[in-house]
Amino acid sequence: MENKSGTTGIDLICIIVNFGMGSKVLKTAKSLGIHGGTLTLAKGTANHRIWDYLGLSDIRKEVLYMVAGRETAYRALDRLDEEYKFHKPNHGIAFTTSVYETVGTSGCKSEAMNSERGEDEMMYQVITIIVDKGKAEDVITAAGKAGSKGGTIMNARGSGIHETSRVFAMDIEPEKEIVLILSEQDSTEAIVSAINKDIGIDSPGKGIIYIQDVNKTYGVYK
Amino acid sequence: MSVFYEKFKEVLFSVLPITIIVLILNFTLTPLELPLLIRFLIGVIFIVFGLTIFLVGVDLGITPIGNHMGGTLAKTNRIWIVAVVGLILGFFVSVAEPDLHILAAQVDAVSSGLISKGSIVVVVSIGISVLLAIGLGRIVYNFPLYRILTIIYFIIFVLACFTSREFLAISFDASGATTGALTVPFILSLAIGVSKLKKDSKASEKDSFGLVAIASTGAILAVMLMSILSKTDKITGSLETAETSDTITTAFVHEFIKIGPEIVIALLPILILFIIFQRISFKLSKREVSRIIFGILLTLIGLVIFLVGVNAGFMDVGSVVGFKIASNSNKLYVIIVGFILGVVTILAEPAVYVLTHQIEEVTSGYVKRSVVMLTLTIGVGIAVALSVIRILIPELQLWQYLLPGYLISIALSYVVPKLFVGIAFDSGGVASGPMTATFILAYTQGAAEAVEGANVLIDGFGVIAMVAMTPLIALQLLGLIFKLNSKKGGLESNGK
Repeated sequence: MENKSGTTGIDLICIIVNFGMGSKVLKTAKSLGIHGGTLTLAKGTANHRIWDYLGLSDIRKEVLYMVAGRETAYRALDRLDEEYKFHKPNHGIAFTTSVYETVGTSGCKSEAMNSERGEDEMMYQVITIIVDKGKAEDVITAAGKAGSKGGTIMNARGSGIHETSRVFAMDIEPEKEIVLILSEQDSTEAIVSAINKDIGIDSPGKGIIYIQDVNKTYGVYK
Repeated sequence: MSVFYEKFKEVLFSVLPITIIVLILNFTLTPLELPLLIRFLIGVIFIVFGLTIFLVGVDLGITPIGNHMGGTLAKTNRIWIVAVVGLILGFFVSVAEPDLHILAAQVDAVSSGLISKGSIVVVVSIGISVLLAIGLGRIVYNFPLYRILTIIYFIIFVLACFTSREFLAISFDASGATTGALTVPFILSLAIGVSKLKKDSKASEKDSFGLVAIASTGAILAVMLMSILSKTDKITGSLETAETSDTITTAFVHEFIKIGPEIVIALLPILILFIIFQRISFKLSKREVSRIIFGILLTLIGLVIFLVGVNAGFMDVGSVVGFKIASNSNKLYVIIVGFILGVVTILAEPAVYVLTHQIEEVTSGYVKRSVVMLTLTIGVGIAVALSVIRILIPELQLWQYLLPGYLISIALSYVVPKLFVGIAFDSGGVASGPMTATFILAYTQGAAEAVEGANVLIDGFGVIAMVAMTPLIALQLLGLIFKLNSKKGGLESNGK
């Protein structure tokens, strides 16, 4: 478990909260020594079969990314957890992953900590899936079958090597969706292969998946 | 269920202000009779639930259809397909718009049948469809919005010189009336569907808006041309005022019978076009289709409940309040109450809701919904106040408001961030929806009735035109503030 990425001591904090809360969390985080953050809009889902089928289970979310030295990050997160009560249901989730290097932010010097990664007993991983627009729901359904508890969808656009094209006078880039799924380490493999089976990520042009280790989580239900 | 809950909360907070204001008026300036008050309160409940269901339905049904159609159209990369489909979409969507039929019936009445209802519906729809196709073409060819608006409004200005003042009011009203609660979300999402393909995310952001604005000028042009060509320049007939003798239940049942079929017809073209597109090119999954159908169903139910609430609960209250306050000796009250009513009414306007959400979505929260709302409410408040002043002072004419207003709007469009040009001109059409068309219009007509020398008919028309114009200035000024305030190179740097 002594991973190489854990040595630099810089963490990426990712906080997913209900729409409208993002700016408040960011403001509080700044007062706790974090130098800045980036917000995007997202859509969250949680398991609920009938509502989900009718599209009524989507909730608007905001995702906040912040980079900070590990010690600052953990301290800030503890305080944020107190203030925004991530541990209660529907109050959002937060997790951190290790960052290899940052450029452009002087604020977060490496703060190596003695304690090893994962004070949590349970190890979590974050699975990021990037697929063509419209496929995200299928990804979440597939993941749900393998035991995932929900996911967050962000709209994006981007293209692989063959995809940019031009119609009329506009350069277009295909729309994508990014899905974030937090999973326990034991079930990650199952979730990824379930998604792979349903979407066929293996074949070219269907999307990509990557998995990151998570250092700390708040608000994930066991 | 959380989606309903979330929307319900938002809707509740946007309908509460108008409820409170009317209740305050009831206990101070204008006591209402009990049955009327009860009708109003039932109307409020209808509006809250109707609007909630409608908005969820739009999110699930109308918006995805528009987005898919826009994207599919652009990807064909053939201008004739974009043009033809644009024409067909524009024509059928506006032919089915209930607001247009109401306006056409009024014009039919006031022109003593010289301009028949059928002909005006067809001509306005053609106008809108042509301009919609042009608007789509603009997006795909990256033609700047402010330039095309300058051209269109210049043509309108020239035509306006040949149009009588009655028809001037009607034509500008038409632009507001035709972009109703259904057309706006659909056209908005169509534009977003096309422009979000763009690689340049700034262009994609600003070109998401402006299509509603362009399409709605089609109505102005069409009515002006009609009045010039048919040489009708005098308003001869008169409007019958609606009877108010209904009891509480019959009022609601009556409205329901009237509105239900109207909305079914209004939704049909969108549904049929969706089915055709689905067969030919969408090929969406079964789940997505069932969601969209479910969304359309919600849209239908929600809109019917909402409109029944507005028409049965709000209309009469508006005219009674207007009449009573204007009968009051102090004329200042009419203006102040007009301003306040304008502010609170616009909060409950469905299309405003959809637009502000889209703005937030497209700009990833950079332009906040609440800020746009606030600016819009002030703009509309001023519009209503100005309209009331026009009723009180007969010498003031509509063009004396509209001409400087539009000149300022066009001038501003050259300096403010281009994103806000689109937002502002779109919100002009959006602000004048069913709530304004009933409540505010009823208020001003009620006031006109009580003021000597005011013509209910002539002064009644033109209010919607005002409500459609002031947001152009208000929101562009907001854009200017955004530009001045953000020191870092943000949205404002898109100088082209």
